[in-house]
Amino acid sequence: MDQKQFSVVGKATPRIDGYERVTGKAEYTGDVQLPGMLYARVLRSPHPHAKIVAIDTSRAEKLPGVKAVIHNFNTQVPWGSGGLTQKRMIFNNPVRYVGDAVAAVAATDRYIAEDALALIEVKYEKLPHVLDAAEALKPDAPKIYPKGNLSVGDGRVSAPIKETWGDLEQGFKDADKIFEDTYVSKHVNNAQMERRVSVAKWDAGKLTVWASTQGISNARADIARDLSLPLSRVRVVCKYMGGGFGNKNQAQDYDLMTAMLAKATSQPVKLEFTREDDFIGMHGRWASEQRYKVGVKKDGTITAVELNAITNMGAYRKQSGDLSGCDFYNIPNFKKVVSPTHTNTVVSANYRAPAYPQSVFGFASMLDQIAFELGVNPYEMFLKNRAQLSKGKNAFSSNALEACIVEGAKKIGWNEKWHKPGAASGSNKHGIGMALGGYPFRLGLGAATIRLNPDGTAHVLVGVVDIGTGAKSTMAIIASEALGIPMDRIQLTSGDTDVTPYSIGESSSRTTSFTGGAVIAAAEDVRKQLFNAAAPELKAKPEDLDLKDGIVFVKSDPAQKLPLKQAMRRVETEILGRATTNPKWPDGIDGKAFAAHFCEVEVDAFTGHVRITRYVAAHDSGTIINPLTAESQVKGGVVQGIGMALTEELLIDRPTAIPINPNYRDAKVPTHLEVPEIEVLFVDSRDPYGPFGGKVVGEPPITPSVATIANAIFNATGKRFKELPITPEKILRSVQV
Amino acid sequence: MKNFENIDVKSVKEAVGLLQKFQNEKKSAAVVGGGSEYLQLMKVRVATPDFLLNLKTIPGLSYIKEEGSGFRIGALTTLTEIEENKAVQEKLLFLSQAAGEAASPQIRNAGTIAGNLCQRPFCWYFRSASHTCLRKGGEVCYTVAGDSRYHAILGAGPSYIVHPSDLAPALVALDARIKVAGPAGEKTIPLEKFFVLPQVNYRRENILGPAEIVTEIQIPLPKTGSKGFYHKMRERQAWDHAIVSVAAVVQNGNGVARDARVVLGGVAPVPWRAPKAEEFLRGKKIDETAAAKAGEIALEGARPLKDNVYKIGLAKALIQRALLASV
Repeated sequence: MDQKQFSVVGKATPRIDGYERVTGKAEYTGDVQLPGMLYARVLRSPHPHAKIVAIDTSRAEKLPGVKAVIHNFNTQVPWGSGGLTQKRMIFNNPVRYVGDAVAAVAATDRYIAEDALALIEVKYEKLPHVLDAAEALKPDAPKIYPKGNLSVGDGRVSAPIKETWGDLEQGFKDADKIFEDTYVSKHVNNAQMERRVSVAKWDAGKLTVWASTQGISNARADIARDLSLPLSRVRVVCKYMGGGFGNKNQAQDYDLMTAMLAKATSQPVKLEFTREDDFIGMHGRWASEQRYKVGVKKDGTITAVELNAITNMGAYRKQSGDLSGCDFYNIPNFKKVVSPTHTNTVVSANYRAPAYPQSVFGFASMLDQIAFELGVNPYEMFLKNRAQLSKGKNAFSSNALEACIVEGAKKIGWNEKWHKPGAASGSNKHGIGMALGGYPFRLGLGAATIRLNPDGTAHVLVGVVDIGTGAKSTMAIIASEALGIPMDRIQLTSGDTDVTPYSIGESSSRTTSFTGGAVIAAAEDVRKQLFNAAAPELKAKPEDLDLKDGIVFVKSDPAQKLPLKQAMRRVETEILGRATTNPKWPDGIDGKAFAAHFCEVEVDAFTGHVRITRYVAAHDSGTIINPLTAESQVKGGVVQGIGMALTEELLIDRPTAIPINPNYRDAKVPTHLEVPEIEVLFVDSRDPYGPFGGKVVGEPPITPSVATIANAIFNATGKRFKELPITPEKILRSVQV
Repeated sequence: MKNFENIDVKSVKEAVGLLQKFQNEKKSAAVVGGGSEYLQLMKVRVATPDFLLNLKTIPGLSYIKEEGSGFRIGALTTLTEIEENKAVQEKLLFLSQAAGEAASPQIRNAGTIAGNLCQRPFCWYFRSASHTCLRKGGEVCYTVAGDSRYHAILGAGPSYIVHPSDLAPALVALDARIKVAGPAGEKTIPLEKFFVLPQVNYRRENILGPAEIVTEIQIPLPKTGSKGFYHKMRERQAWDHAIVSVAAVVQNGNGVARDARVVLGGVAPVPWRAPKAEEFLRGKKIDETAAAKAGEIALEGARPLKDNVYKIGLAKALIQRALLASV
């Protein structure tokens, strides 16, 4: 990597669309209004498991303003991204959880559409159901699928998920002590601000979908496949997006329902979920029951780890259901068996670092407890067992986890503040805790196009959707840096499959790496063409030229220079640079971003109230392209962790199988008052494979946050909480005043 | 939300007249002040009125007036206005604080004092369109077999809701009175008598008749030597209801409590006054032991459900703290 001083990379740069977003000028999908547009609503199953015997829509159709009603008996459309291991339709029969879509109505306004839902008469034949994942695995449990409730692998995913290395038996023999315990996490919803919304319009056989998606290219491919359309006849647009955290990847059932309603009525249709639809109609994070067996030496060194777990995927399996919280440690002997299990509950799938925070909670709590029982300071325990650059199974392209631990601990004042668990006196108990986290840093497919205009301005075209991460700004920064053209001369177009090139999708923290890499390559393509055109006038060879701050100059003699506009005179129209890149890891190397989090809490032993008083998040994300948005990412991840640790859980009423808190008020996502000032620390790190040395930022911050808070509560109270969320009720039950 | 007709009413008399008219015509109607609570019920179709009477267009119903013996607060006064009123802050102990702890700033800007006292329960079964519970004309209170972590431990059955108001316990502790207008004219009653237990009526939380509306709250000035404390425990520090709250007022004199009020929120279907604890405190020096004992007495007879046993200890602890802070 070139060690030159960056011009834009690494400098706090305001979002290029920040003004539009905060002034309400940005047109989100929900803002799209088309002439003659209809509004749709979805009818959902009130039963956890039932066969639909008949649907009578005649009363609904007679309601003035109702234009179409679609359901399982008249609309058979597969929802490809809705089921990884089973064929899932947009309307399924039988219905398999309270919330499974039964029908959708399009009407002239959404109130009429909603009125119509009540007029649809559905005859159900109830089937036996099961809500609890461990129950569901028992032989006599009601079967949700013919082969049973343990999800069946399909080649892309396995079931159970198994991973093993080293010699487990020997590892436990080598241990001085073996610890066993079980940790439980609950289903929490992504709870993104923007509810799911889609607008569809057909025009001469071509379908345009204004989606709220984390990937226009995937969404286009999904819609084309599910509706049997050629790719050329599907256009997906998403200019501004209001958050998804993993549950707006690809195309979802509502995109397909909207398209089918628009087709049935020959009018544009908008379908916007209610907040309740959003909580129960899509998915949240998979709940888990994690049974650990950990062998350690007297000094805390891990010799072996065995994890047997059940993850509750709900009625359909959309994604892996894996648990990866052991990823950040040097574990010589390891075995993991995770059983993704079906129940008649709301679906669980991707939510920011899907397999991590619940699993880090389990494993980092386990290590914190072992440290306590061995009389080892948790700091030493985590430092000693951390994943290293190249040790055991691991060989990373870069790893600054040690710096995260050391610098984070210093910043929070670990040595001065740590005390024996439960030793704090008085009713307001101070505690301090830490945990390690991170996320895979991947390399892969990216594409970008850059048009260099005759006036020296550049137009960058990328397929990315900015899901709140600041990705548009990041791409503009990378383009500016790679081209050598100031930010104010960069224009960015994104989020329209008719215009912009392919994007992998804004999920799995890949945008900066995948598409960013392509932007750099496209910029190099532009520069090559530019230098060829400018070389004669500068009387130099093209390879001797450079471009910086919009000036083309001779490297060996910077006084020989041309402003970009002048250099472009020899170009007839514009320079079109493009690149599709698909880098791969060398054998035996893998990428990972790392983090160490620390926090202090005060636990009121009288009320069970936990107040987080200080939070320090130290991250190794490689070069930080834009510290402003990167810090926001870290803070956002921590906030979600606070909710998951202390308050959030989607509650399914056991007697009725109905979710009882599917709304912002009762789901208790944190407010500003729950969140302390979060101090973000990016340690010095530069990855040899990432764009300008960058790795990933989006998902790592949520991974250690839940465990960090749980460990701080242990330090404060001396009580280990093994089930999330750690509510005042649970604290009061265990803490003696 | 079901379609409805909005009527901007211009006077209390008009509102009462319209409510009577709709009642006679067997049409459903509801009154709304700030709308922050009622519109939520309409959105989930738990409330489906044909007519909505907008009281905000009645002139002169929003005021805070200090008179010789106390305060008069108009029904449409917002929680923010009460929270920020200087005289209320100075003279009515914790009332400003209790108003400021309700809901969120946005809701407090819209929500009114009358609306806060008349709000419907925030029980998740009551607020779920899928559960036709006892309070909505159904057969069962789903809480008993279901999830009762936030429900009542005192004074409940056959319905187990808790009264969600922050202002109610505070105002009952301050001996407030409530003025109600109806077809028979106006009446003013102690606020404590305004609320009804499910044993009396499990479909309603207060005594308001179908054509009655709240017009004013009257609060006497606390007696000399009075000190009070409002303590609200919740899981989230904004936009969350009390798991348990305590409003305590102690009239201090000669090193003892000459009189005391202990009113609990979040534990019963009404703001729950603890008269035996109050009686115990009278004439006592309030120290750790006495305050703890008062908590014990207040929770005597608590009958928790399977998920809310923790509220008993919590309520005792909050009472102790509130009393110790009131001397």
